[in-house]
Amino acid sequence: MKVTTAHFKATARVELGNARTQRFLQILPLRLSARRNAAYASFADPAAAHAYGQAIRGEGVARLPELLETFEANARANGARVFWAADSQAANAYIVDLARQKGVRYVTKGKSMITEELGLNEALAANGIIPWETDLGEFIAQLLERPPFHIVGPAINIPVEEIRDIFIARGVMATPTTDPVTLGRAARRFLRDKFRDLQMGITGVNIAVAETGTVINVENEGNIRFNKSSPRTLVCVMSLEKVVPGMADALHMLRVLCRSATGQAAGAYLSFDSGPQRQGEKDGPEELHIVILDNGRSAMVRDAHTREVLRCIRCGACLNACPVYGKVGGYPYGWAYSGPMGQVLTPALRGLSDTGDLIRACTLCHRCKTICPAGIDHPATLLYYRYKDVQMDPQFNGRGVSPLERLTYRAYGLIGSHPGLWRLLGRAARRVANRHRRNGAIQRIARWTDGWFSSRDLPLLPRDTFHDRWRQRQAATAGPDKYASPDAAPRRRKG
Amino acid sequence: MTVNDRETILQRLKAAASHPVPPRPLLPPLPEMALDADRLREVFVQRLTEQGGEVHPVANRAALLETLGRILADEQVVRAMAAADKVVAPLDLVSWGRQVGVEIVTPEAYPDRDGYARAVFDDVQAGITGADFAVAESGTLVLVHDTRQARLISLAPVLHIAVVPVDRIVPAYETAVTAIYADGRRPSQVTFITGPSMTADIQATPFKGMHGPQKVIVLLVG
Ligand code: SF4
Repeated sequence: MKVTTAHFKATARVELGNARTQRFLQILPLRLSARRNAAYASFADPAAAHAYGQAIRGEGVARLPELLETFEANARANGARVFWAADSQAANAYIVDLARQKGVRYVTKGKSMITEELGLNEALAANGIIPWETDLGEFIAQLLERPPFHIVGPAINIPVEEIRDIFIARGVMATPTTDPVTLGRAARRFLRDKFRDLQMGITGVNIAVAETGTVINVENEGNIRFNKSSPRTLVCVMSLEKVVPGMADALHMLRVLCRSATGQAAGAYLSFDSGPQRQGEKDGPEELHIVILDNGRSAMVRDAHTREVLRCIRCGACLNACPVYGKVGGYPYGWAYSGPMGQVLTPALRGLSDTGDLIRACTLCHRCKTICPAGIDHPATLLYYRYKDVQMDPQFNGRGVSPLERLTYRAYGLIGSHPGLWRLLGRAARRVANRHRRNGAIQRIARWTDGWFSSRDLPLLPRDTFHDRWRQRQAATAGPDKYASPDAAPRRRKG
Repeated sequence: MTVNDRETILQRLKAAASHPVPPRPLLPPLPEMALDADRLREVFVQRLTEQGGEVHPVANRAALLETLGRILADEQVVRAMAAADKVVAPLDLVSWGRQVGVEIVTPEAYPDRDGYARAVFDDVQAGITGADFAVAESGTLVLVHDTRQARLISLAPVLHIAVVPVDRIVPAYETAVTAIYADGRRPSQVTFITGPSMTADIQATPFKGMHGPQKVIVLLVG
C-alpha cells in the first residue's frame, strides 16, 4: 500500500473540492454517530459499560507480555501454529512461504487493517500469488487501488459508474449496471467461486483471548466466515495488542465494539476460533496459523504516551466524531489508518518524518477522546507528538522547526519575559495594525497574515491596554482606593 | 523458513517499565438478566426480527415439520442440506424429505471435502441447522461447530433455517459461552449469527445476502 501521509494537505484540498466526498461526509459520520449513541442506550448504564471497556483495554496493554504468552500457550494447545513477526517483512515472508509451500495460486482475505499495514497484497502479488479482498468495500477499493475512505465503508464514496466500469474491465460481471444491489450480487457470484475452491484464507483478528487461545472476528457480510471455514489453510494475522485476559472481557469488548463501529448490538457474524478443525469435522482449516505482529509496537510500549495508543480496537467511532475527518474524509491520512485513530497510530508506527501534517490536523476539540471505547486520549497524544517533533526527538524522527520559527519564538520568549519591552513593542504593534483599518475594522495586514484574516476581522485595537487604563484611573482618583485591599470594605454577599 | 522473533519481541515488551493495571469500574448486569422465560422469549424474537430474521413459533414436532415443508415450498427449495446436530438429527429429515418430495442431504453423503464443498455451495438452496443457544440480548443464534455441526451449512446456502428449542434461549452471551467452554472444552469454532448477511458498502445502500444467507428463518419449538 502506498504511503501518502506526507501529502495530507494536498489530498485534503482535493477532497474538499470533491462534491461527492462532501456529500457523503455530510451524511455518513452523522448517521453512524447517531446509531452508535442509540445502540449504547441498550446498556443498563452506558457510561459504566464505556468505562469498563476502557479498563479492559488498559489492562490488556498493561499486561501485554504475560497475556501474549498465555495466549500463545493456549492457542498451541488448541493445535494452532503461532508465528511472531518483528516487522512486516518477516510477516509477509512467512505468509508468502506458506502459500508457496501449499502451492496455492490465489488467496482470499477478510477485511483487515493489519494486512494493509503489512502491504501483504503487494508482497503476495510480487510472488505470483493473487490476493482477493472479499469484503465488498475492500474488493472495490482493491480493484481501483484506492486507500480505505472509512474503516466501516472503505469504498462507500465511490460512484456506481466507476464500480460498473472496473467490474466490467476486470471480468467481475458482463452486463453493465449501476444498481448498487446488482453490483453487489455480481461481486458475490465472482467471489463465491473463489471461496468454493479456496486453499488458503487470510483474516485479521479483532480480539484474541488469552485464557482460551481463541481468535475472534466481527463482520456483517460472511466473507470472514468463508475465509475461516472453506480453505485447508487459514492464517490469522493479529497485531500484538489485540489480546484480552478472558472470554468475559472479550464478550464485553464485542458489545462495545459493535455498538461503536456500526451501532449494532452485534455484527451479523461473530466467529470464535480455537485451533484448526478437529478430527472428523467436515470443514474448517486443517492448519491454523496465527501471526503475532510487532512492527514497531514493542517500541511503543516503552513510551507512556504511545503505549496507551495500543488500546485501540479499530471501531472507527473517532472518525465519525472528528470535525476534521468530517471535512476531508479518509484519503488524506495516507495509510491504513485514518481519522484520529490514524493520527495517533501512524506517527507512532512510522515516525514523525512524514506525518507532521497528520499530528497538526486537529482542533483539540476532544470529541474523539470522549467517544473512544478504548480510552485513548487523542488530543493529549497529538500535543505530545507535536512536542516531540519540535524537540527533534530522535526516537520519533522529529523534524524540529525552521530557523525562522525558532528565531520567532526565541524573540517572543525574550520580549514576553521583559515587561518594559513587551509594552513598548505592543504599543508599536497596535499602531501598525490600526493603520490597516478599513470599514472600522482591520481586515488585512500583509500577505503572510491573509490566512488568519481569511475568515475573520480584527476589531480596531485601542491605544491603551487594560493595564494602562487601570494605572491612569488610579492616578486620577488618587488617595486610598476602596477596592485596593480586601479589608478596606467588607464584601457584600449575594442573597 | 523465516525466523520466529518470539524471544526478541517478548524481551522488548518485558523490558518496558511496568505500569499499574487500571481498576475495573462497577458494571451493572445487562437488563436481560432479570427477565423470566416468557419475557426472554419475547425479547429474543423481537431482537432477531429487528435484525432481519424471521421467527415461526411451532408447538411440536408435527407442526415443525409442517411449517418446514411450507417454507421450503415457498422458497422454492428443491434440495437442502441438514446438519447432523442434536436438534436436527432426531428429526430424520432425510426420510421426511422423501415423503414430502424435497431432497434433504447431509454432509455425510459426501465423503470427500471437495464434493461436500460443491454440494453446499452449488447444489442446495437451503441449510438446516439446530442452534446450541439463542441469546436474547441481541437476537443471536449460537452454533458450536464440531463433527455434527459443519460450518458451511449455515453460511453457503442462500437460506438458513435454524431449529431452536425454546429452552435454548438464554439472556446473555456469558450464559452460552460459559457452558460452551466449560471444563476446558475448546470447540474449533463457535459462531454467533445475528440476522442475515448484509452490507451497505456501495453508496451506503443496504442489502441482505452479501456473501452469507439472504434469509435467516428460525423455527422456535415449544
Ligand atoms: S481510537 Fe478509539 S474510537 Fe478511534 S478507532 Fe480506536 S478504539 Fe475506536
